Amino acid sequence: MTRSAEINPRGAKPTRITAGRIGLYAFLISAALFFTVPLYVMIVTSLKTMPEIRAARIFALPDHLDFSAWKVAWAGACAGAECAGIRAGFLNSVLITLPSVVISVLFGAINGYALSFWRPRGGNLMFGLLMAGALVPYQVFLYPLVRGFAALGLYNSLIGIVIVHVLFGLPLVTLLFRNYFVTIPEELFKASRLDGAGFWRIFLEIMLPMSVPMLVVAAMMQFTGIWNDFLLGLVFAGRDNLPMTVQLNNIVNTTTGERLYNVNMAATILTALVPLAIYFFSGRWFVRGIAAGAVKG
Amino acid sequence: MTYSPLLLAGAASLALTAPLKAQDLTAEVFSSWTSGGELKALDAIKSEFEARGGTWENASVAGFENANAAFQNRIMAGDPPAVKQLIVGQDPLEFIEAGLMTPVTDVAEAGHWADVIPASILESITYDGEIYLTPVGIHGESWMFYSMPAFEKAGIDGEPESWDEFFADMDALKAAGITPIAWGGQSWQEAKVFNMVLLTQVGLDGFMKIFVDKDADVLSSEGVKSTLEIVAKMRGYVDEGAPGRNWNDATAMVIEGTAGVQFMGDWAKGEFTNAGLTPEVDFGCAMAPSTPGMIYIGDAFGYPKLEGAEAAQKLMAEVVMDPKVQVEFSLNKGSMPIRTDVDKSQFDVCTQKGLAMLEAGTIVPEHAITITPEQVGLLTDFVGEFFNTPDADIDEAMEQFAEVFE
Amino acid sequence: MARRQKKSFMPALAILPTWLTVVVVYIGAMVWTLNLSFTKSKLFPSGAYVGFDQYERLLGSSKWIKAVSNLATFGVLYVLGCLVIGFCLAAALDRKVRFENAFRTLFLYPYAMSFVVTGLVWQWLMNPVLGVQATMQGLGWESFSFDLLTSRDYAIYGVVIAGLWQGSGLVMVMMLAGMRGIDVEQWRAARVDGIPAWRVYVSIILPQLGPPLAAVATLLTMGVIKTYDLVIAITNGGPGTATEVPAKFIMDNLFQRQNLGLATAAAIMLLMSVVIIVAPFRYASYIRAKRKAGVL
Repeated sequence: MTRSAEINPRGAKPTRITAGRIGLYAFLISAALFFTVPLYVMIVTSLKTMPEIRAARIFALPDHLDFSAWKVAWAGACAGAECAGIRAGFLNSVLITLPSVVISVLFGAINGYALSFWRPRGGNLMFGLLMAGALVPYQVFLYPLVRGFAALGLYNSLIGIVIVHVLFGLPLVTLLFRNYFVTIPEELFKASRLDGAGFWRIFLEIMLPMSVPMLVVAAMMQFTGIWNDFLLGLVFAGRDNLPMTVQLNNIVNTTTGERLYNVNMAATILTALVPLAIYFFSGRWFVRGIAAGAVKG
Repeated sequence: MTYSPLLLAGAASLALTAPLKAQDLTAEVFSSWTSGGELKALDAIKSEFEARGGTWENASVAGFENANAAFQNRIMAGDPPAVKQLIVGQDPLEFIEAGLMTPVTDVAEAGHWADVIPASILESITYDGEIYLTPVGIHGESWMFYSMPAFEKAGIDGEPESWDEFFADMDALKAAGITPIAWGGQSWQEAKVFNMVLLTQVGLDGFMKIFVDKDADVLSSEGVKSTLEIVAKMRGYVDEGAPGRNWNDATAMVIEGTAGVQFMGDWAKGEFTNAGLTPEVDFGCAMAPSTPGMIYIGDAFGYPKLEGAEAAQKLMAEVVMDPKVQVEFSLNKGSMPIRTDVDKSQFDVCTQKGLAMLEAGTIVPEHAITITPEQVGLLTDFVGEFFNTPDADIDEAMEQFAEVFE
Repeated sequence: MARRQKKSFMPALAILPTWLTVVVVYIGAMVWTLNLSFTKSKLFPSGAYVGFDQYERLLGSSKWIKAVSNLATFGVLYVLGCLVIGFCLAAALDRKVRFENAFRTLFLYPYAMSFVVTGLVWQWLMNPVLGVQATMQGLGWESFSFDLLTSRDYAIYGVVIAGLWQGSGLVMVMMLAGMRGIDVEQWRAARVDGIPAWRVYVSIILPQLGPPLAAVATLLTMGVIKTYDLVIAITNGGPGTATEVPAKFIMDNLFQRQNLGLATAAAIMLLMSVVIIVAPFRYASYIRAKRKAGVL
C-alpha cells in the first residue's frame, strides 16, 4: 500500500476517518456484495454433492467440502474415452487468444492513431462502415465467411481462427483507440511533426507509450472476448484447435441429458480463471500519472 | 477384423473410384450427446464400431442449436463429418433434398430392416424410396413421472385414469402442501405437455390428421378445445418458480418429493436413477391420463456425402442397427431400441411399458418428425404464449393453433 | 502541395488492411445478407426471389415486434444503468481505497464468465421459490418480493439486472483508465478551492471523459444488439415469448428453424433501425469535430 501511495499522490489524504470515507467504503462494500452473490452461489454449488444441490437451498454452505466436481471439470472422469475435461482445450485457447489479441490491438492502435491525427481521406467513411458492420449479429456473416475461408484454404486452421478473431475484433479496438487518441492534445502531434518525425516514428515513440492504459483496456477486452468465444472457435478452428469453451459447452450444455450442476459451476469458474488473473494483476497499469506524465514529457 | 460380405462388396465397388481410400474405415462422428448417459450410449456404438475395425473420431457439440450451427457451417465449407446424429423425420429433409446425404438403402436391404423396425418409423427414415437414416432408439416423451412418497402423503392411491381424476389428485397434493406439477417453464417443454394432452383428446388418428394431413376439421374440433382447456387448467397447479426452469430442476423437485408429478420424456429417468431412485418403488412412471398411446421422438444417424467415407459409413450403419448395440445404447440413454427383435429383458419397468406400446403400434411421432423445423418453432411459440397468458382466450387460441399449420 | 500528398500516403497505407476488411468482409457480407433477405432461402442460400415477402412476414410477426420492443427497453436501461453504475464505481475506486485490485476484480469478474452457467445462477437467484425472495421470506420478511423473471411484464427487467451485473465492470475499467489519465494539477486546484470530491467528479472529471464515454456507450450498444447468451441462459425467451430479443430471433431462424431468408431480413431490419437511430448522433459529433478542427 505504501508503495502505491508513493506512485500516486493524489486526492485527499486517506488517513483520517471521515464520514465521507465511511460512506465511500459502505458504497464499495455493498456494490461488492451485489457482484459477489452469484459467484458465492457458484462456488458453494460447485462444492456440493448432487443430492445436496437437489435439495435446492442455493445459499446453504455444503455439508462438507467436496472437490470432486472440480477434478471432473478440469480433467474429466466419465467412462467414455471421449470424456475430457476443459483441460483438453486450454493450450488451444492460449494459442488462439494470444496472437489474436496482439494483432487486433496493434491494428486498432494504428487505425485509431491514423484516424485521429492524420485523418486520411475516406477515414471517417471507413470508420462509419466498420461501426455499422459491428451492429449486425455476426452469426449472419458465418456462411459467406466460411465459404471464403474454405476457398482460401484457411478453414480449420489456427491461422484461420486468428484471422477471424482479428476481423471481428477490428471495430471494437479501432473505436477504443480512435476515441482515446482524440483526447490527446493535438499540439503534441503537431510539435513532433515540426521536428520532422514521420508516421511510424510518432506512433512508436510518442503515441504508443502514451496509450499504455488504453492498450491494457483494449487487450483486456479482446482477451476476454476471444477467450470466451465459442461459436467462431467451433466453426473455424477445426477439430485439432478447438478452444476450451467448446469443452465447457459440452460439459454444461445439454437438452435431454442429466445436468451435474456442481461440475458445471466448477468448469465455468475454471474457464474464467485466466481472464480473472489478468484483471487482478493488471492493477499496476491502472495508476494515475502514466498518461498525464507522458503528455508533459 | 470381421467384414460382412456386403461391406467387402461395397468396398470393392468403391475401389474403382477411390482406390486409395477404399479401406479407410475412419469416421468422424458428429453428435450433440455429451452428458453422462448420452456419452455412455454413444460409447456402446463406438466400441462395436472399433471392434469391427473402424476408427472413431469424436466431434461432439452439446446443444441442438450449437450442433446445428457447427454442422451447417461445415456443410457450407464442403467439410462434412462422415456421420451426423439426427432426429428422424423432417429435420434432415433439407440436407437430403439438397443431395448432401448418402442413402444406406443397400445396407438396409441386406439387413432386412423392413422386417424388424415398425412401419411408421421406416416411413420416417425413407425419402423418395431411399433409406437415408439409421434409427438407433426412440424416446417416449409423453410420460408422467410422479413421486410415490408425495402421492402417499396426499392420500392418492393409484395413477389417475382420467384428467378429472388427475386434477382431483392435484388438488389433494395441493392440500397436502406439495407443489402438484413440477413444471419446466420453457416453451419446448410446454409444447411437449400440450402434445401429450392433445393425444388424449383427439386420439391417435386425430393426432396424425393434425400433424400430417393438417386436417382443418380436426384442427377446429372439440378435442383441440378441450386440450387447451386442460392445459389452461394446469396453470393453477404449478408453483410460481416455474418460468424458465430446466426440466432437470423440475425432476429434482419430484425426486425430493416437494412436487407431485412431472411431464417429461423418458430421458428424465436418468436423473432419477442418478439420484439412486428405483422405478415403481420411489417414483412412478405413467403415461398421460387416459392416453391411447405414446408420442415418440427418434434418434438416428445420417451420412453426409463425403468422398472416401462410404465404407466407414456403411460399417456405421450396420453397427447402429446391430441388435446388441441397440439394446446397450438404449439402456444407457433411457430410450427404447427401434428393432423389435431384440432382447428386452434387461429394461426396467418403465421402458417395458413403452415397449408394449411400441409393439402394439399405439405410437405417434412428435412434431419434429412430422412438421418442418419452422412449424416446430411456431408451435413452440404458440404453446409457450398460451400457457403463459393466464387470460388467453380459448377460441382465439384455437385459431392461432390452426395458423401454425398453414 | 506535393509534399503534403507524399506525407499522407503512409496513413492511408496503414489503414488499408482495415479498409480491405470493411469492403470484403463487412460490406461483402452485408450485400450477401441483403440479397438473401429477398429470397425464400430455408436451410441453404437459394436464388428463389420473393421480393419483400420476408419483410412482410417479419413485420406481421408479433414475436419480432416483441423482440424489438424488448431490445429498446433492455437497451436503454442497460446502457444507462451500466454507465451510471460503472462511473460511480470508478469514481469510488479512484478515491485511493484499500484493496483496489480486489474490488476492481470483483466488479469486473462477471465480464469474464461464460453466461451459460452464470445465467442459470441468476435464474435461480430470481426464482421466487429458491432465490433471494424465498431466503428473505424465510428470514421473516414475509412481504419481500423479487420475482421479476416469472412475470411476463417484468421478466425483461430481470434480464436487465443480470445484464448490469455483467456489463458495469467494463464501464468501470474504461472510466478508471480515463480518470487516471487526467491531470493531477486539476485535483490540487479543486482542493485549494474546497470543492467536494463528488462535485469534482461530476463537474470537472466527467466532461473530460467524453470520448471514452462515447466509446463505451457504443460498445454497450453493440453488445445490446447482439444480446443472445444472456436471454438464452436466464429465460430462454420466456415466459412464453416475453423476453424474446432480435439476436435470438435471428439465431433461431438461422440454425434451428431453417429459415435463412427470414433471419437475413431480420438482420437487415435490425441494422437499418439502429443506423436510423444512431446516424443523427454520429453526424452531430462529426460536425462538432469539423468545427473543432476548423478552430484549430
